[in-house]
Order: sequence, then structure tokens, then C-alpha cells
Amino acid sequence: MPIVPFDTSMIAAISAELLLLLLAGVILAVDMIWGSKQKDHLGWITAGGLLFILLISLIFTRPEPVERLIFGGMLRQDWLTFTFRLIFLFAAAITSLLSINLKGITGRGEYYALLVVTTLGMSLMAASADLIMLYLAIETTSIPLYILAGFMKSDDKSTESGIKYFLFGALTSTVMLYGFSLLYGFSGETNLYLLSERLTGGEISIWVLGGAALLVLVGFSFKVSAVPFHFWSPDVYEGAPTPITAYISTASKAAGFAVLVRVMITVFPEISLYWTSILAVVATATMTVGNMVALAQKNIKRLLAYSSIAHAGYALIGLVAFSELGIASLLFYLAAYVVTNLAAFAIVVFFANTVGSDEIADYAGLSRRSPGLAFAMLIAFLSLAGMPPLAGFVAKFYVFAAAVESGLIWLAFVGVLNAIIGLYYYMTVLKVVYLYRSDDDEVPIAVSRPAAIALGVSVIAVLGIGIASGPWLGWALDTASSLF
Amino acid sequence: MPEDFLPIAVLIILATGLSFTILLLGQIFGPRRPNPRKGSPYESGMRPYGKGQRRVPIHYYLIAVLFILFDVEIIFILPWAVVLRDLGIFGLIEMGLFVAILLIGFVYAWKKGALEWD
Repeated sequence: MPIVPFDTSMIAAISAELLLLLLAGVILAVDMIWGSKQKDHLGWITAGGLLFILLISLIFTRPEPVERLIFGGMLRQDWLTFTFRLIFLFAAAITSLLSINLKGITGRGEYYALLVVTTLGMSLMAASADLIMLYLAIETTSIPLYILAGFMKSDDKSTESGIKYFLFGALTSTVMLYGFSLLYGFSGETNLYLLSERLTGGEISIWVLGGAALLVLVGFSFKVSAVPFHFWSPDVYEGAPTPITAYISTASKAAGFAVLVRVMITVFPEISLYWTSILAVVATATMTVGNMVALAQKNIKRLLAYSSIAHAGYALIGLVAFSELGIASLLFYLAAYVVTNLAAFAIVVFFANTVGSDEIADYAGLSRRSPGLAFAMLIAFLSLAGMPPLAGFVAKFYVFAAAVESGLIWLAFVGVLNAIIGLYYYMTVLKVVYLYRSDDDEVPIAVSRPAAIALGVSVIAVLGIGIASGPWLGWALDTASSLF
Repeated sequence: MPEDFLPIAVLIILATGLSFTILLLGQIFGPRRPNPRKGSPYESGMRPYGKGQRRVPIHYYLIAVLFILFDVEIIFILPWAVVLRDLGIFGLIEMGLFVAILLIGFVYAWKKGALEWD
């Protein structure tokens, strides 16, 4: 993998990141100049800007036919970077739409600026090809997220969530950094691709290399909230402002998977047998713990938190399969999961805005109060449960197919069993929504226009990815082939 | 390769062993005569008042954070200034961008009243 000397076409390759930085500056400037006279224009600027950047990066940052390392080997321009960048931008745009008109958030410039900066960090995470760049990108992502999770300063739960997220994140990132330092010590390189050349050849004992791999895995497992590093997620998800919960559970998790996939496949192909075995166990534990604990939840945000832990487990199966189809299925799974979970959280945002509660029991009678909203919830939750013809079904299908193709029939079996458990608790929520009555049957749930757009786009994406899955899988396969 | 790490392993075992031994010895032989005065939090010899979790003004903290902004800026500007002639106009633009980004943050904090003392 040669490092290409600098030329101006590289600027185009990072145009999305540059524009994100600019957007953050513009948001702060607008907030300074116009202040809080208008309530919701900041959210619209953010969402519009992100949409614009999405289009720009769709057109101008398409990877070259041959993957290359740019900016002195700091970044890699390839399909993985491109695909994940689009996912992050999409999720960020939806999140900023959901944040409009929320009490305590709307009209706060720093909220939107931090959201944009963390998106910038994620985009760089997916592109990083160097340990130093990778670490900086992870921190650029994490630190704004810690602040955003604790953004409601006068709300104890939000503060708790911010602190907890920060402490967990700091701890795991220390361990990960130690792993990075060992890798550098063994190879004398920080570039992932040069490093992997030095590590191959069997000079370094498998145990030592495996140990370094484990340390690195700790940091990434925290990001994707895999068992046993999942303890933070229910508390953080519950306390954080709901749009931020949606963002952490989708984009941040996808970013974790982006680095997980790149580092494991690039740096540790030698010992793939060992780390895939470990990840197989982790995936099993993650799915099972996530689903089992979700069964007992009374709060919708905690339920979705445990369900998102379980979904990280399903997605890990794709990596454990360690094949092109496996990685492609993982990417497909993430895309499907991101749009579905955004839709699910959009409904939680509406509901909490009107009713002021996140308890599942309070969702009773939603189908009579707002039939459209209840139907969107039906689609989102059935997709999370993996029902055809929705995105979640196709995604699970490909992941399990990849596992079977790689001879991991037992893992596919565990996955299917878990999908059944998952179906039960998603259906329990839908039962409350559709079959139970409440005293406020006549009072519809207020839906603001921006949030309705966000929900509509997400639901259409869930249907689109589910019904016409072919082109998306083709895209995912292209992306996966650029890694091997 | 692994045997190179043997001294480190020995050190880890000795260090952990020693700290636990000391704690254990203190537990066994140390006299224990608790009284309320000993149990109360230490506040420079003053009698503690109020709750420990009350809100405190964080102006000092804000000033310190803004100070770090310029502190870090200097760290980057000094080595840059040494090689400025070699970097030429490219280096000047790069540093201009860097300073501009920091400046936006600073002006924002200023406008939002972070520098007002009450």
C-alpha cells in the first residue's frame, strides 16, 4: 500500500470534513450574531448544511478505482471511508432535525456545533489509516459526545449520563492506547498498513500479538457497546437528551464498527483465527445479554439501549465470519440498523415531548391518539425485530448467511434464537401501543414539521433498504472488497 | 521475546504483593480508636458546614480553560515560528487557519459571557 505524495485532488477527498468544520464555525457565528431571537433556525441550518455536505461528498469524494493512502499515510481513501461517511452524515442530519423545538436544546449554538464536530470525528475515524490519527479521531468523536450526553445541566440524569459516559470512555481509551503503544513498540510504525507488513512473518509470538489485539479490542468494544463493555449504555441512553441517544446508538456505534473492521482486518490477519474466536464468544454474549435484559425493561429508552446492545452482537457475526460477504453483511446490517433505530428514537422524541414520559406503559392507546405515529412505530419495531419485508429482516438474513458460509452454523443458530427473544419484547411494546387503551385517547401526539420530516425519511429508508436490498448489498460488497 | 518481560512480571508480582502485605499488616497491628472528629471530612482544620455537593461558582475554571486555549496555541506557534521561512506562504496560511479556528471559539465564549465575573 503506497503512500501517495500530496496533490490537490486530496483536498477534494477530505472536502466533507473541511465543510463540516466550516459548518461548525458558521453555526457558532450565526448563534453569536442573531442569538436567541429565533428559536429553530440553528437546527435548520445544521440539517441543511449536513444535507448539502452529504450531496457534496456523494459527488466529490467518491473513491478512486485504486485505494490510496493520502496525507502522508494518515488517511485512506477507499469505499469503507466513503460509505461510513455517508451513514454518519445521514444520521447527524436526522438527529439535528429531531433536536429542533426540544426544550433546553433548540437555539443553543454549541449543541449543534458539537454535533457537527463529533460527526467530523467519526468521519475521520472511518478514514484513519494511522494509529495516531485513529486515536485523535476517536477522541474528537468522544469528547463532544460526553458533553452532549450531559447537555441538560440541570437534569440530574443527564449529568449522570455525561459523567458515566466520560469515565467509561476515558478508561477504555486508556487501555486501547496501551494496546496501540505495544503495536508501535513491536513494529516501529504507526501506519496501520506498514505496521501490518512488519507484524507478519511470525517473528512476534502469537501470545504477545494477541495480547495487544485484546487491549485494542477493549476500546472498540466500548464504542460498539459489546459485552462485557456495555454497562454504560443503558444509563447513558436513558439520561442523555433523546436525539443524542439516537445519535450515540447509531452513528457512534457504526463508527466503532468502522475502526473495528479496519484495524482487525488490516493489522491482525495473521492471528485472525484467535480474534474471530474471541469475537464469536463476545457476539454470543452480547446478543444474549442484550436481549435477555431487554425483556425486563419498563422504560422505552432503556429497552432500546439493551436492544442496541443486542444489535451490536448481530453485527459482530459479520466480522466473525471474516469473509467478504461477512463484512458486506456487517455494513448492510449497520445501515439498516441506523435508519431503523433513528425512526424508533424519533417516535420516542415526539412522545416524550407531548406526554413527558418514557415509560412503556404510557404508550397505551398510541394507535388511537396518533395512528400514523403508531404505524411508523410498528414499522420501526418490526424492522428491529427482523420481520420481512423490512430492512432489519434482510440485514439479519445476510449476516446469518455469512456465518453459515464461513462454517459457523452454531453462531447463526444462536443469532436466530436471539432474534426470537427480540421479537417477543418488541411485540410487547407494540401490544401496548395497539391493544391497550388510555384515558387520553382523544389527545393526539404533537408532531413538529422538522421531526416529521426526519421520521418520514427514516421510515422510507427502512422500507427502501428492505424491499430493494439488491443495490445496497452490491454497494456493501464493493466496499468489503476494498478491504481485503 | 516473552522472557524479556520476565523482570516486569517479577516487578508486578512484588509490587502488588508488597502493597497488600502493608495493608494487611496495618489491619492486624494498627490500633483503631475511632471518634466523630476523626470521621468528619477534613476542611483545613475548620469545622465542616453545609453539604459537600453544593454548587460552587466555576469562573476560575472557565478562565483556566480559556487560558489553555492560548497556552496550546503558543505551543504550536513557537516551533512554527522557528521554521516559518522554510514553510513560506503555505505555513502562514496553515497557521492562519489554526488561529482562526481557535479565535471563533474564543469570541463565542466571550459573547456568551464567559468572561463576565458575575
